[in-house]
Amino acid sequence: PILLQGHERSITQIKYNREGDLLFTVAKDPIVNVWYSVNGERLGTYNGHTGAVWCVDADWDTRHVLTGSADNSCRLWDCETGKQLALVKTSSAVRTCGFDFGGNIIMFSTDKQMGYQCFVSFFDLRDPSQIENNEPYMKIPCSDSKITSAVWGPLGEFIIAGHENGELNQFSAKSGEQLSNVKEHTKQINDIQTSRDMTMFITASKDNTAKLFDCTSLEHLKTFRTERPVNSAALSPIFDHVVLGGGQEAMDVTTTSTRIGKFEARFFHLAFEEEFGRVKGHFGPINSVAFHPDGKSYSSGGEDGYVRIHYFDPQYFEFEFEA
Amino acid sequence: QIIRTFRIETRKASKAVARRKNWKKFGNSEFDAPGPNVATTTVSDDVFMTFITSKEDLNCQEEEDPMNKLKGQKIVSCRICKGDHWTTRCPYKDTLGPMQKELAEQLGLSTGEKEKLPGAHLGGSGHTWAHLGSWGAHLRPHLRAADDNATIRVTNLSEDTRETDLQELFRPFGSISRIYLAKDKTTGQSKVTWAPHLGTPGHALPPPQVFIQVFPQGFAFISFHRREDAARAIAGVSGFGYDHLILNVEWAK
Repeated sequence: PILLQGHERSITQIKYNREGDLLFTVAKDPIVNVWYSVNGERLGTYNGHTGAVWCVDADWDTRHVLTGSADNSCRLWDCETGKQLALVKTSSAVRTCGFDFGGNIIMFSTDKQMGYQCFVSFFDLRDPSQIENNEPYMKIPCSDSKITSAVWGPLGEFIIAGHENGELNQFSAKSGEQLSNVKEHTKQINDIQTSRDMTMFITASKDNTAKLFDCTSLEHLKTFRTERPVNSAALSPIFDHVVLGGGQEAMDVTTTSTRIGKFEARFFHLAFEEEFGRVKGHFGPINSVAFHPDGKSYSSGGEDGYVRIHYFDPQYFEFEFEA
Repeated sequence: QIIRTFRIETRKASKAVARRKNWKKFGNSEFDAPGPNVATTTVSDDVFMTFITSKEDLNCQEEEDPMNKLKGQKIVSCRICKGDHWTTRCPYKDTLGPMQKELAEQLGLSTGEKEKLPGAHLGGSGHTWAHLGSWGAHLRPHLRAADDNATIRVTNLSEDTRETDLQELFRPFGSISRIYLAKDKTTGQSKVTWAPHLGTPGHALPPPQVFIQVFPQGFAFISFHRREDAARAIAGVSGFGYDHLILNVEWAK
């Protein structure tokens, strides 16, 4: 695997662009890195944030980069030059952000903090006045449990939000109304990632499971169980595989803390819900995982501040799960 | 001597990807030369996926072992041969009794006598099978817990390797019937004597002023239930880098 050492604090999120040639990484330090995934060479950094960066996203044609930070701002960058194009000031930390599929609308959610409620804000980039005047065309409040992870649904019609209490909600991107709601997880949802064709998504939760849902109906399809909180989960674009990255039980820390490189990414079969493989290497819990869009490699970012790009060996491609 | 191999690949990519490959570096990488910067990007040793063949084995292992221990527990247990009779009634008490004591002393002192040792160890790690190891198994073959044909020897273990580490390392290959980790008698640690000023043990020593003997690194025996699992473990772990040492795995002849 290729080791990327561009961060001094733990990784919060990593994401590939649509073609997969670039990997964006953000961490609890203010640096936003972008790397060539083929060899791990760093292309550049987007400098400007002054606090931990919680989320990152790139639009479909890799022209813009969006980041949300604990410094109460959501920033838009030019991907090629690193120049900051827009700054949206918020009243609390920005926890999750994303471009819609067309790259024209940005959404981000802010934390419930210091008297401020949790909101999801929508800006249309085609109307510059919205960003200039900090007036989103729509703002959805969520009163109860704050949103901890959110992604766009297919065709930009709605967003899927995961909450601190394990709930999942669908909010319309046009009207802001709550379209659907399910509660399958019992604890905070740490990560949501959609499948390549956006028909399904997988959630990673603190309740030690990851679950697969249908995007439109929110029907709960599969559950992947582990003994540790799952920090991140991703779906392979070419196989029926799921990768989970997680934390470690507190009581394990004393017995295994001296073991180096033992934190693992765990691979499950999508349909059988059974674990079939593990990849070791991180020195701390894994906070974010992502499959390369071609499915031939995956990356993981850990609490240790390292990002590892792992190209699968031939055995992975030949592996057949015996039910 | 450090040898670096570079592989030059020509890849076909879409126009957009190719264009991005020619972008000028910016931000903190603005003054970086073309190609990866060693400060940010390093290639690590190969790590392969460890395949888990039987998930229920992996999960149930912790749950079932205590159950098994309960099942196998006899109400009466002889101290000499662990049979289900009182010690004073042991059929082997004249022969095995004294021999047991002798063996125990021998085991503590010997270093490399691997032939005698499969399975026998001091220090107690909770195994329920015969304390005598090969003696017990020989006299009571139905108690022989491990199949010697499915036993492998791992050498070059680091000194702070524990049985639980070996468990983790070899569990993916199949169910293990026993693990014997060689321990130094006085310290209870896996056998290691480190002479750091001479460099890596095992390599040719420079002509020394003073002769110093470097003992072999820690070793262990792992017995699987099935021989195929042992075979795969040899293939899978041999040459694996574990805690700064390269492990050597082979059949325990």
